[in-house]
Amino acid sequence: MTNKPANSTLRVKEVNENQCHMCMPLGGVIAFKGIEGAMVLVHGSQGCSTYMRLANVEHFHEPVDIASSSLNEKQTILGGEKNLNKALDNVLRVYQPTMLGILTTCLAETMGEDMDRMIRAYLQEHPNLGVEIISVATPSYRGTHSEGFWATTRAIIAHYARVCESHNRINVIIPNISPADIREIKRIMGLFGVEYTLIPDFSMTLDRPYGGRYQKIPTGGTSPADVSRMPGAPVTIQFGLTCPDALSPGLYLEQQFGVRLINLPIPIGVDNVDQFIAALSHICGKPVPEQLTLERGWLLDGMADAHKYNAEGRPAIYGEPEMVYALTGVCIENGAEPVVIASGSPHSKLKDLVRPMVSDLAEQPFLIEEADFASIEHAAVSAGATIGVGHSGGKFLTERHGIPVTRVGYPIHDRIGGQRIFSAGYAGTLAFLDRFTNTLLEQKYGSYREKKKDEMALNRVM
Amino acid sequence: MSMSEEMMGDMLEKYPEKVLKNRKKHITIVDTSQACQQIEANTRTIPGIITQRGCAYAGCKGVVVGPIKDMVHIVHGPVGCSYYAWGTRRNKARADENTPADKVVSTLCVTTDMQESDIVFGGEKKLARMIDEVVEAFHPRAISICATCPVGLIGDDIGAVAKAAQDRHGIQVLSFNCEGYKGVSQSAGHHIANNNLMEHVIGTGPDRDPNDRYVINILGEYNIGGDGWEMERILGDIGYKVNCVLTGDTSILEIKNLHQAHLNLVQCHRSINYIAEMMETKYGTPWLKVNFIGVEATKKTLREMALCFGDEALIQKTEEIIAREEARIMPVIEHYRKICQGKTAFAFVGGSRSHHYMHLLRDLGMEVVVAGYEFAHRDDYEGRQVIPSIKIDADSKNIPELHLTPDAEKFQEAHVHLNMSKEKFDELNKQVPLSYYEGMQPDMKDGEVMIDDCNHHELERMVRTLRPDLVFAGVRDKYFVQKLGVPGKQMHSYDYSGPYAGFNGAMNFARDITNAMTTPAWKLVTAPWEKQNQQ
Repeated sequence: MTNKPANSTLRVKEVNENQCHMCMPLGGVIAFKGIEGAMVLVHGSQGCSTYMRLANVEHFHEPVDIASSSLNEKQTILGGEKNLNKALDNVLRVYQPTMLGILTTCLAETMGEDMDRMIRAYLQEHPNLGVEIISVATPSYRGTHSEGFWATTRAIIAHYARVCESHNRINVIIPNISPADIREIKRIMGLFGVEYTLIPDFSMTLDRPYGGRYQKIPTGGTSPADVSRMPGAPVTIQFGLTCPDALSPGLYLEQQFGVRLINLPIPIGVDNVDQFIAALSHICGKPVPEQLTLERGWLLDGMADAHKYNAEGRPAIYGEPEMVYALTGVCIENGAEPVVIASGSPHSKLKDLVRPMVSDLAEQPFLIEEADFASIEHAAVSAGATIGVGHSGGKFLTERHGIPVTRVGYPIHDRIGGQRIFSAGYAGTLAFLDRFTNTLLEQKYGSYREKKKDEMALNRVM
Repeated sequence: MSMSEEMMGDMLEKYPEKVLKNRKKHITIVDTSQACQQIEANTRTIPGIITQRGCAYAGCKGVVVGPIKDMVHIVHGPVGCSYYAWGTRRNKARADENTPADKVVSTLCVTTDMQESDIVFGGEKKLARMIDEVVEAFHPRAISICATCPVGLIGDDIGAVAKAAQDRHGIQVLSFNCEGYKGVSQSAGHHIANNNLMEHVIGTGPDRDPNDRYVINILGEYNIGGDGWEMERILGDIGYKVNCVLTGDTSILEIKNLHQAHLNLVQCHRSINYIAEMMETKYGTPWLKVNFIGVEATKKTLREMALCFGDEALIQKTEEIIAREEARIMPVIEHYRKICQGKTAFAFVGGSRSHHYMHLLRDLGMEVVVAGYEFAHRDDYEGRQVIPSIKIDADSKNIPELHLTPDAEKFQEAHVHLNMSKEKFDELNKQVPLSYYEGMQPDMKDGEVMIDDCNHHELERMVRTLRPDLVFAGVRDKYFVQKLGVPGKQMHSYDYSGPYAGFNGAMNFARDITNAMTTPAWKLVTAPWEKQNQQ
């Protein structure tokens, strides 16, 4: 077995070929959509909002409305204030949101638009609007959609948070996970009977049950009143180990208001879920509910049953840093030692966090930051990966190299149900594991006879 | 149910006064007793309205340039935009005798991924290095560079970078200044792409083989779901030689040879009429607006094409193929027509497609009661006769016009291209509308609505009041329409189905929309216990 150094980065080329990450405001949209009564406006050319609607609609299969200030050539010279004001007039009138999130684009930031001044002027001219306007700088030359998500979540908290009396409601800050996983995290906290403010909660706004009257702004989302009281919480649980400090919403609450931060991985995988459950149990001073013990048992039983298949898996894991970190844990836990661990983001703490996890592995995986799929593909093929784990961008692994992909994370554009992919908690981990194992089995049975035939033919020749 | 002035008033009353006045001009309730009903189009979108429109980059890279299969398309800009146009719109492409598999590189998504320092110090050097890498890695026949918003602002001279790279590597490097803020919609990008292909690619290949007969190009066909292949199948059976499908499943080699055709067919009028017109000026090539969407429409198109060449054998062969295809498909169409008869639809797609689908839906007994475009101009609605009266505004002026003159060597009169006498050609012109498009309006009935740059609010109100059975739009509008209880059909990529063009396409389409309207899910929305409560 070869022993490669764990830091071998294969991204030798400068050109980004088949990108593994997307633009900063795209992540911001998702975070804003997790706030009650929120509408989003993108300050830039209208293609940006149209494309972001497209990317989100294809993942969530839900309406995702994003307004645009529709900047044209003229505004690139004269500035975009007039357009922004018109856009505010119209979107506020037609949507009547209680919160409007504004995300800037490469265009607006390159023009040097002074968002704070323009918004202040608008609000002065229109007092008593009854809407909170929050603007976040998200030019995608400064970060990926993952950073856009964190920056926006932090900005929302910074906008609403006020010093208040201490209370028992804990803060829970999530990264970009599926609505199904948000619901599972909420169910687990419900089993403990703990009160919480979870932000951004897009579990109902970006995954709505059918029925009832269609509303332009769907009900659900984190209530701004709850966000304003986050500084009085006893503790913040943030699933954001890889989040850069400058963007960390939990760190902001700790530094500004002294709310203790417990930074945890996304609760996927026994160890990662254990950390979450232990933290909850400790915070509430309650024993772990019987139901969760049962679920943990089922998961362990499943892991024992599947270990012989999983140990043959050689996963290539890629996607957003936080999700990649959690998935790396769950793969190692199941004996499927990763051969490639990659993220498109250049800004996260992923590499430093993952290195100790993989240092004991018999074969050192490729760790790639700022990855594109050209580098992921190259690493996966040269390391003999047998399964991809990540979003739909990895479809080329299958198309070109016959490496199947278990889809998880964001975005899922070539399969239905991206919003329902269930991987969190013990129950979710088991669901993920079954998908993972069955992907390996399908490959095994699909090529079993072929392989045997080849082997026998080869033997005969020899 | 058709739209009344009152309903329109209700729909628009939510807007501020100025917006209301503006939007009203973009909506026409068709009244055939009026001689000419004018619609406003191709003007700036009102900010803050949830428009269906995209940007110039989307029109240039996403629509026209992106599908060219043997080019590496480099997106020069920060990371997002290249992802969004990756795979463009399910434009299918395959290797063929001109383009072996290793030369098909359009599925690559390549970007300079500009970072903050590139914005500050400029991205030209990075772009140049990346072109070198791309050439080394893929040896493509040609490269395109498409600029996104910041590039124009920071003043990167992508034209100079392209020129230098072209000299360095000896392959064509095309640069498109299609920054998203240009123009008012995708339309600006179409125009930029058309100009560049016309100026630098078209006509650089060898001359037409004098022995070739019935050579045609299909302009503005992007082979979504294999539409172009179905057209080629039918045209090939009749005896045409399809020289190039622009830009579905096409290669730069084929685009160079575009001037070899006797006749240009225009499928999508908006995105490609510039090339059709410019080729007519430069080479004299006549063009015919065609429609391969719908059984009757396809038949009409095939018959008009045959007349253009005026050859009895070709006319007879056309009738043979039509009879053969009809015998095969009509029983299937009849089956679906029984289910679809009397139903209504809205259509918001393309730069001719809302019009095209009216024909296919009528084959199935359905009527399009509201139709519109995101990025069309007045001539796409009202017909090309209005072009001289279209006001040129600042936004249109920002897209340069190429002023071409007849090519000294390659220009031939249209009748010479079609191998007929001038007299016979004049006769033909009376029968077949060459170099003309009548727009969608003549195909619409009283009370039906023509709407330009329809937005989310208006679409919602119209779905609620007119209750269509089906809405054809992009995926962005599909799911909210379904929340209103009406099936939505994504017509930019056909919901991963297709082809919908030609005879086989009509069958696929009939099957798909019937499935959409009759899926049992719609009947199961109310739970049995709720039904009991309602009784």
